[in-house]
Amino acid sequence: MQEWASQLCENRQFGSKMTDSKYFTTTKKGEIFELKAELNSDKKEKKKEAVKKVIASMTVGKDVSALFPDVVNCMQTDNLELKKLVYLYLMNYAKSQPDMAIMAVNTFVKDCEDPNPLIRALAVRTMGCIRVDKITEYLCEPLRKCLKDEDPYVRKTAAVCVAKLHDINAQLVEDQGFLDTLKDLISDSNPMVVANAVAALSEIAESHPNSNLLDLNPQTINKLLTALNECTEWGQIFILDCLANYTPRDDRESQSICERVTPRLSHANSAVVLSAVKVLMKFMEMLPKDLDYYGTLLKKLAPPLVTLLSAEPELQYVALRNINLIVQRRPEILKHEMKVFFVKYNDPIYVKLEKLDIMIRLASQANIAQVLAELKEYATEVDVDFVRKAVRAIGRCAIKVEQSAERCVSTLLDLIQTKVNYVVQEAIVVIKDIFRKYPNKYESVIATLCENLDSLDEPEARAAMIWIVGEYAERIDNADELLESFLEGFHDESTQVQLQLLTAIVKLFLKKPTETQELVQQVLSLATQDSDNPDLRDRGYIYWRLLSTDPVAAKEVVLAEKPLISEETDLIEPTLLEELICHIGTLASVYHKPPSAFVEGSRGVQHKRLPGSAGSGESVESPDTGSAAGVSDAPPAVIPSQGDLLGDLLNLDLTPPATTGPPPPATSGMQLGAMDLLGGGLDSLMGDESEPPPIPLRTDTPQSPQIPHQSPSPPDYSPTELGGDLGGSSAMGAGFGAPPAAPAASFSAPVSGGLDDLFDLGGGVGMPMGAYSPPKTVWLPAMKGKGLEISGTFARRAGVIQMEMTLTNKAMSVMTDFAIQFNRNSFGLAPAGPLQVLTPLSPNQSIEVTLPLNTVGPVMKMDPLNNLQVAVKNNIDVFYFSCQYPISMLFVEDGKMERQVFLATWKDISNDNEAQFQIKDCHLSSDAASNKLQGSNIFTIAKRTVDGQDMLYQSTKLSNGIWVLAELRVQTGNPTFTVSLAQQTVWSNHCSDCAANY
Amino acid sequence: MISQLFILSSKGDHLIYKDYRGEAGSDVIDVFYEKVTALTGDQPPVVMVTHHKDLHFVHIRQGGLYWVATTTADSSPFSIIEFLNRLSGLVKDYCGSLSEKAVQMNFALIYELLDEVLDYGYVQMTSSDVLKNFIQSEAVSSKPFSLFDLSNVGLFGAETQQNKVAPSSAATRPIQSSRDPGGKSEIFVDVIEKMSVVIGSNGVLMKADIEGEVRVKCYMPSCSEMRIGLNEEFSVGKSQLRGYGAAVRVDECSFHQSVQLDEFHSHRILRLCPSQGEHAVMQYRLSDELPSAPPFRLFPSVERDSAGRLLMYLKLRCDLPPKRSVSLLPEGAGLSQELSSPDQSAELQLQNRTVFWKIPRFCGGTQLSALFKLDVPGLSSASMLEVGPVGLSFELPKWTGTGLQIRFLRLSPIHPGPSQRWVRYVTHSDSYIIRI
Repeated sequence: MQEWASQLCENRQFGSKMTDSKYFTTTKKGEIFELKAELNSDKKEKKKEAVKKVIASMTVGKDVSALFPDVVNCMQTDNLELKKLVYLYLMNYAKSQPDMAIMAVNTFVKDCEDPNPLIRALAVRTMGCIRVDKITEYLCEPLRKCLKDEDPYVRKTAAVCVAKLHDINAQLVEDQGFLDTLKDLISDSNPMVVANAVAALSEIAESHPNSNLLDLNPQTINKLLTALNECTEWGQIFILDCLANYTPRDDRESQSICERVTPRLSHANSAVVLSAVKVLMKFMEMLPKDLDYYGTLLKKLAPPLVTLLSAEPELQYVALRNINLIVQRRPEILKHEMKVFFVKYNDPIYVKLEKLDIMIRLASQANIAQVLAELKEYATEVDVDFVRKAVRAIGRCAIKVEQSAERCVSTLLDLIQTKVNYVVQEAIVVIKDIFRKYPNKYESVIATLCENLDSLDEPEARAAMIWIVGEYAERIDNADELLESFLEGFHDESTQVQLQLLTAIVKLFLKKPTETQELVQQVLSLATQDSDNPDLRDRGYIYWRLLSTDPVAAKEVVLAEKPLISEETDLIEPTLLEELICHIGTLASVYHKPPSAFVEGSRGVQHKRLPGSAGSGESVESPDTGSAAGVSDAPPAVIPSQGDLLGDLLNLDLTPPATTGPPPPATSGMQLGAMDLLGGGLDSLMGDESEPPPIPLRTDTPQSPQIPHQSPSPPDYSPTELGGDLGGSSAMGAGFGAPPAAPAASFSAPVSGGLDDLFDLGGGVGMPMGAYSPPKTVWLPAMKGKGLEISGTFARRAGVIQMEMTLTNKAMSVMTDFAIQFNRNSFGLAPAGPLQVLTPLSPNQSIEVTLPLNTVGPVMKMDPLNNLQVAVKNNIDVFYFSCQYPISMLFVEDGKMERQVFLATWKDISNDNEAQFQIKDCHLSSDAASNKLQGSNIFTIAKRTVDGQDMLYQSTKLSNGIWVLAELRVQTGNPTFTVSLAQQTVWSNHCSDCAANY
Repeated sequence: MISQLFILSSKGDHLIYKDYRGEAGSDVIDVFYEKVTALTGDQPPVVMVTHHKDLHFVHIRQGGLYWVATTTADSSPFSIIEFLNRLSGLVKDYCGSLSEKAVQMNFALIYELLDEVLDYGYVQMTSSDVLKNFIQSEAVSSKPFSLFDLSNVGLFGAETQQNKVAPSSAATRPIQSSRDPGGKSEIFVDVIEKMSVVIGSNGVLMKADIEGEVRVKCYMPSCSEMRIGLNEEFSVGKSQLRGYGAAVRVDECSFHQSVQLDEFHSHRILRLCPSQGEHAVMQYRLSDELPSAPPFRLFPSVERDSAGRLLMYLKLRCDLPPKRSVSLLPEGAGLSQELSSPDQSAELQLQNRTVFWKIPRFCGGTQLSALFKLDVPGLSSASMLEVGPVGLSFELPKWTGTGLQIRFLRLSPIHPGPSQRWVRYVTHSDSYIIRI
């Protein structure tokens, strides 16, 4: 019975469906049928109307593909308007009806030879849009003709058509030689054609990252810059974007490009303006900061950026997102323009929020009063989101500008007085941050905050308030009552609040143990027994055990001093910022994400980097040594020669010590991050545009106090010269007029010798966390020293190079009046103080002397490089001897390179400057080796594992500022280490001994 | 580059859809509409759709329509927005007005336009001058003649004689209709300034900016050369010394690329060959140092009466020269209602917590006042702080904040047949805020 019923039901449904669909088809058929008749009408007007109707239905999404043959029949007409409509239809349906589309080909080919250039261009354009494979072979001939057409309108259409064809069939485009024709079009007389050719080539080049299609050299750049002045505004954008990919050879070229791009800043089209800003921001990196032009350029950038803010709100939004980046990179551009970022009453909310962000970025001591007054006004506006952000902004101002903190706090208190719920909550959240930044300064406001305890209903505000109560429990009389009131609804709170409450009560207990025992019991049992949140439970257990085993330790852990917070937390990470600056005006700059984060596939994902700044403010250089002669001569003096150092470094103790301290946490974290970076990043960077290697910065370490030189840099600034200059300048500092001249031939110092010592790994004395110090050797035998025997060694302890000597009197008489002097040497080593031998040395007595050294002494190249000639005087005579110091003691503590800098430098160093070694019989894991090396100031920048081999990337810096980079390959279970050493300078060979270290 | 382009009505109807690169289907239109209407309030113009990972929507709103472009690569949203603005301008020029109806009626024309302005997603040209060589379709004007348009005449100055004033609708007709024999040769030059002013609660002028532009709308089928003379004492930049005269100064100005400036530096004359349609010939900006005092001042007092009501007494003064008269002046205050003189009206909008005070006409040199009494539950002294700023929106015809004037407007050679030139000045409020 039931079955029958359901069947009946089904029948009825079926029936109704039938009638419905029948109704539909008849209408549809009717409409289509009608249109069909009209399309085949003899009257042109009627035909045109019919095609229009077809297109209207097409637009609203109706399927009119059934009319394909009839529409195609209308194609052959003299009426341009009708023809355009038919082409429009074809573009839309050709894909779904490829066979039929072929029917239209003949007409296309015919139209491509029409005397009317409009029709020729129309045909080429439309054919390119019909994305059907079969049509491409018919397209080639007409396209070839059109690329050479006499009419620029046809040529510019054909140029784009090449890009279209390339997308459908790249091979065909290459085979047919269209790419060359396209390149020729860059020199076309018509700027519009040039612009389209550039656009098409850029697009094709993106899908072939390694092709040199758009070969940017000074000649083509010049052509583009000329076309820039004549182009339409849109063409100017293509050209400027293309220019932004070029890396000028030197600062002079970059200045001349900047000069020619600057007039674009006053263009009415804001997209042109922003593209010009992008080019300028990028090329400005190459200009020396002390150049007059640099300042002029900075001044010129501000007005156009401000003008962008008077455009439509949509443009304002994009402009603000970009300005946000620019302000972070170069705050000086807009520092006087704070007022334009003040929020207008009728700005859309998305513009308001962005403006607020920039206001905070620009806030400084000079304008903080103005900014605060504005922010206070905003905090009383109607829009809740905006008000919240404004309140937060006040807090951020307090953290950023210390002088304003007091005023910010009082503003926040005023706002809390309004009792507007969300304002109060927001204010409490930021006050918590202010407490963290300025501890023990504004605690007087706590009472006011506590008054508002009941009105807090947002987890973040509750958590912030609880934190405050816990942190300052000793100053709040009724802290226990306050916290207890929160505890009542413990299970209904969000995790954030629960965690904070747990911690706060434990803090309270540690501060007032007597009164709060019960409370802490209660919260611990709530957290551990009644909660199923693992975070909460575990934190509860930790506290519990801490409190029950060692309350003193608990106090140290829970009430430990907290690191201060700073306003930089919300800044964009510098490397990302650099990349984003290269993408100004694009989607990346709006999302504040690198393009790789949101663009899929091969197209357009290229890492862009700002060019290195040549001769920027940080680099120091003296005018005298800047001359080419001084520069090329000086360097060898300071580069250690290979052979001798190799030996010393190999003596480094690589046997696993019993107590190796754990690596600093920062290092291990970095290694994890670096693995990834080196895995993909290094390779992708290799193919990228090259950039000048970073200039090593010398910092003031005790060994190398540096001599500041303020002078314009020479135009050509290469790392080679830099190394030389650094050597030279320290010589200058010591009062040597002429840089020591060393013949170029002597660069190739002996390489041999040290390799033997390489295997001498077990000899060293274990010094787990300090630099290696070789055992003492006899420098001056008693025979030569008239009874004085000197044995000694060198060590680096706590950043200071020390010469440790044992003086033994083997003569018969007492020795007094000891003094020491060094001859000029490769690294400018000199005694930092007098030799401290206070008591006279009686016969057969020995004395241990430690002499601190610095590296500011006169420089002269020695052979071997690490040779040191010493003169020791006593009451008997003056004695001369020479000794050799281990190069590792010259490795300074700040030899840790930035990962990015390392990558860039590593790839920049030519193969000639690399050397490879093998270290055998070294039974250390890569981690242990890295720890050990770090003790000698050789820092592991990154580590990755390839095919069971651990690759350690390491850097170290010599006291004279020369960097040495190394790659250490460790095969697990194989005691042989392979070392590739690279140095920025041609003398890397000499330095490669450092590699032997590993 | 642009992958697809579509125009939607505010209700989400598909009006125009064109695919340039075949990278995504037409289903994205609905994805976009859902995304943009999902939240209340204005959405930022650049939207990334997460489940179409590499598809980005860039949109603007003009004439109540969504103008949307999609793109897949990391292209410049700036040029896309700028382009969409131009496109809407072109559509307005060609169709006469921007509305759902106009777009629907002229879809064939718009498709033709889209074909020329973009090729494979690359912007080709947006100048109506060049475009008119390629466009075949005739615009269908959607606006029937209506008497209502003429009734608005007073908007541009009631003192002048009727025949000297162009009806406000005169400038909203399609440019191509000039092919019709009946079309008049007319040129409209508008000097439009937007004023943003912030006056502090103590009556001090905190910030005053003027953004202005000179717009030319040309209905001449073939206009040769036009010379626009500005005030001779017009100066650009901050550093220039100013004399005693009524110098007109702006901080910065930029010009349309077709403007020739060879006579600008010596005689302050802009020379251009206007193409058909509407263009901003010159844009300028002036901040802080306005030549005259701001046109309106407000003397507010906010207090609490004995019955616990909020009393707001507002006195508004217009400082313009007495002869001038202002036509529309609606105004909004932060929270709260009662008023003074005859033809005004006031309204409390609870939703925005705002009181609107509408003043249809306000003579220069006069003063108006209003008293609003509001019953606010739970009024405390703290909530007095919450009474937000007063925002004024107004339109001042025949007045420019900077004092910029058009000295003359010459066409050379003189166009045969009847041709008319119109010059209009108007200052709008952009954001005129008086804090309480």
